[in-house]
Order: sequence, then C-alpha cells, then structure tokens
Amino acid sequence: MMNALARFFYVLGEGLRQMLRSKGLSAAVIVTVAAALFQLSIFLGLDRVLDRALSSAQENFQLVVFLSSSAKGADRDRVQSLLGADARVASVKVVTRDEALAEFRQDPEIDQMIQALGENPLPDSFDVTVKKEAVGHVEDLVALLKKDPQVDEVSYGKGQFEALSRMLALVRWVGAGLGGLIFLAALFIISNTLTLSLWARREDLALMNRLGAPSWMRWGPYLWEGFLQGFLGALLVCAFLALFHLSAGWLLRVFGGFTELMDLPLSDWVGLDLTLCALGAALGALGASLALRKKWVWEVQ
Amino acid sequence: MMIQLFHLTKVHPSGVKVLEDAFLTVAEGAFVVLAGENRAGKSTLLRILAGEDKPTSGRALIHQKDPYALSPKEKREWQSLNGFIFPDLKLFPDKTVEENVLFPLRVRGSFEADPKAPVAQLLERAGLGAKAGQKPADLSAAEQRMGVALRAMVFKPRLLLADDPFAGMDEKSARTLWKLFAELHKAGTTVFLSLQRPEDLASAGDLLNETRVQMVHLKERQLWPVGVGE
Repeated sequence: MMNALARFFYVLGEGLRQMLRSKGLSAAVIVTVAAALFQLSIFLGLDRVLDRALSSAQENFQLVVFLSSSAKGADRDRVQSLLGADARVASVKVVTRDEALAEFRQDPEIDQMIQALGENPLPDSFDVTVKKEAVGHVEDLVALLKKDPQVDEVSYGKGQFEALSRMLALVRWVGAGLGGLIFLAALFIISNTLTLSLWARREDLALMNRLGAPSWMRWGPYLWEGFLQGFLGALLVCAFLALFHLSAGWLLRVFGGFTELMDLPLSDWVGLDLTLCALGAALGALGASLALRKKWVWEVQ
Repeated sequence: MMIQLFHLTKVHPSGVKVLEDAFLTVAEGAFVVLAGENRAGKSTLLRILAGEDKPTSGRALIHQKDPYALSPKEKREWQSLNGFIFPDLKLFPDKTVEENVLFPLRVRGSFEADPKAPVAQLLERAGLGAKAGQKPADLSAAEQRMGVALRAMVFKPRLLLADDPFAGMDEKSARTLWKLFAELHKAGTTVFLSLQRPEDLASAGDLLNETRVQMVHLKERQLWPVGVGE
C-alpha cells in the first residue's frame, strides 16, 4: 500500500517536473485548452440560462379558464371542484366577473368603455397553476376542460413555452455540435503539442526502456502531465469567468444586457466551473494518451 | 549457466561479419574480461548479450532465456535483472546524479527513503558524493561514466555487462571502479566486461587477487578462452 502510494506520488512529481521543464510547450497546451473551453463555456452558460428560464416557466405555468356568460354559480362551483380534483393542477383561484371588472376598471379607457356598455361583459374565470411535471401534458387538460359546455375558452401561453423549449433544444444541439468540433480541434492541437514534448524526450524514453522501466513509470508522468495541463487550462477559464462575474455584472445591469447570466444562482456557476474542469482534464489526458499512441513512440522503444 | 552462446553469427547490415559460429559458456558468478582488437566486435557481442542486437543466426541464452524470444513486457522484466554500462547509455540529463543512481531502485519498486542512504554511501565511495545533487551536465565525462556504472551496480544485478567502462577515466577513478566491480562480484553478480586497452586490467592491481578472472579473446570472429586460442 505504501509502495503504491509512493509510486503514485512519484508519477505526480515526475509529471509536474516534466511540465515545468518544458514551460513553453506546457503554456501552449494550457492556452489551447483554455481557448477551447472558453468557447464551450459560452454554450454551457447559455444552456444554463435557458434551462433556468424554461424551468421557471414550467413552475409558473398558468391557464386561464373562462366560463360562458350563461354559467351560473353552481356551474362555477362544479368546474372549480373538477379543477381542484385534477392531479395535474397545483392551484386554482376563482376570479368572479365582479372581481375581473374591478381589475379592468383600473384602466380609465377600459372603464369608459364599460360605462358605455352599461353592464359587466366579463365572465367568471379561474387562474389555474399547473404542476411542473404536468406541463408537458397540459393539452390533455385543456381538451378536457373544453368539453365542458359551460367552459367558453381556455387561454395559456403555449406558443411562448414551446418557443422557449425549441430554443433550448436548438442551443443544446448547436452547442453539442460546435462544442464537439471545438473539443476535437483542441484535442488534435493538444495531442500534437504533447507529441512535440515527447519527441524532445525520446532519448529519455528509450533509456528508460533499456533500463527496464515498467509502463506506468514511462507513460504515467506523461498522462498526468496532460491531465494537469488540461486542468490548469480549465482553471484559467474559471478564473476568467469569476472575474467576469464579479466585475462585469454591473455593466450588464447598467446597459441592460444579458443580465440573466448574472442572475444565475451560485450553484449554477459552480456547476459550470466543475464541468469545465472535468472537460479540461479529460481533454489533456486524452490528448496525452493520443500522443503516446503515435507509431514513432513505440518505435523509440 | 549464466551465459550460453550457440553457433552465434552476426553480420552487420554493412556486410561485415563480426562473429561466425561462435560458442561460449559463462558460469553463474564468473568474472569475465573480454579482450580483442579495435573493431573486433566486442561491443556487438555485449549488445547481443544485452538483448539489443539480434544475432544473424545462432542462439544466446542469458539466465536460461533467449532475450530475442521474449515479449516486450517479459523483456523489460529480464532487462531489469541486468546492469548495463554501455557508452551510449547516458545519465538522464534532467535528473541529479543521485536521482540517476536511484532510478534502477525505483524501477524495481523501491520507493522508501532507505535506499537514499546506501546510494549516498556509494556516491561517496565513487568520489561523487559532493556532486550528488548536480545534473550530469555539470560533471566531467569520466564522472558521468562513473555515474552510469553506479546506476548499473546499485541494485546488485545478477549479470553486469560493461563495455569498455574505464574509457576516459584517470587511474584513481579506474581503481575505484575495479574495486566496486570486485565487491559486486563477491556479492554474487556475474561480471562480463570488455576492455579496449590491456593496461586497464593492470590498473586493477591487487584488487582482483581473490577473483578468478576468466579471459576471453574475440579474435577472427571466434571467442577464445585464454590459453586455448593463443
């Protein structure tokens, strides 16, 4: 166990030393990872914002159910009971025709129009909040309500909700496509940069092999070096985002920019940072393992 | 037997034949000095024994194993039993002298702090104690050769193969190295070394008095134990 731990620390130490030894190449890998992750972070950030917006829309999804003008008090109570018993409904608020009128009359122009009519033209209605998990099945509820002879109309923001869903899906697809391309391009550059680093140390590799060094001793430090460089690249982006969050937030607020990004909760920022760190480390380690698979590396031995 | 060579022939890609149907047997624990003229093929023979230069025909068995028939993993394990002192086996340029000498112990899985003490002692005895923390670039060529020799001996290999290990060394350093070879041999290692200059053997002086040295001449593409071919 102690020996395994000592080997582990040996690999960590060697990888770190190798990284510091070729500072130029290491900096190139770190900057490449940071550039790729910065582009990915834009999509990831946008995804979070839209996801939050969609989630908020789901949580506050409301229907307005208008009864017909001929509906009596008993009809209103019946529909209210029907809605109250439905598992998809989170809450029901009755808005009587008098309450609706009082609200409308707050607008002087509408007040004048109603005075001209001489009677209250508004029906009783219900403000219905749908449960978050039932938002996807809201059309079934609307269809059920419309079957009732005393229900005149059901109004809900179907178009807006669907547009938001479509936008989120689009951002995810475009993000995944472009992100994938950016990831692959970065992987290619990193793998080639690490190949240069391996080439510079080919004599050491051959020597280690001739001295009987096992695989973990020869390749472990390179994989760790790639992992570390990727991770450092990600940390660079995280630091930049944190700086942006702290210093540029007020600018967006003042000039009315994309404030939704600034309104994201801390957990989302932390989640974004963790995703970037995992992606960076994976990018570096994958790049290193691709470099180690180059034909000449095997021929050196 | 430590080394068994059967019908060994080696023809270089240039067409030069350096060994032809050669035979040799070296017992475990022997101390062999290979002599021969310049370009006779001594280095080639040592590289064949090290598993680094495949013979054109014939067979070489070291520890009863043919290094050219082993898988890469088996070969690395086999290599880790042997110590090599070859002119092209340099020290790692980015490690200190001490780290270079420690390296074979790391290869063999020793990571405790303990090996540092014997390594420091060994460096001290070889005259490199003051330079333990320096990089090879700060050492003279002879000191670097000594460092390579220490790296090959530190783990007490079963077989030590040394190709002209005294090249470039002054008499004092050469005597130190002879002493270390003699001690290693006494501890049970089979030593097989080639000498370019006969005077190098003389520099051993009385250090080999207690050692039965087996001389082998490489001459006319054959291996001749001294007294048979002379």
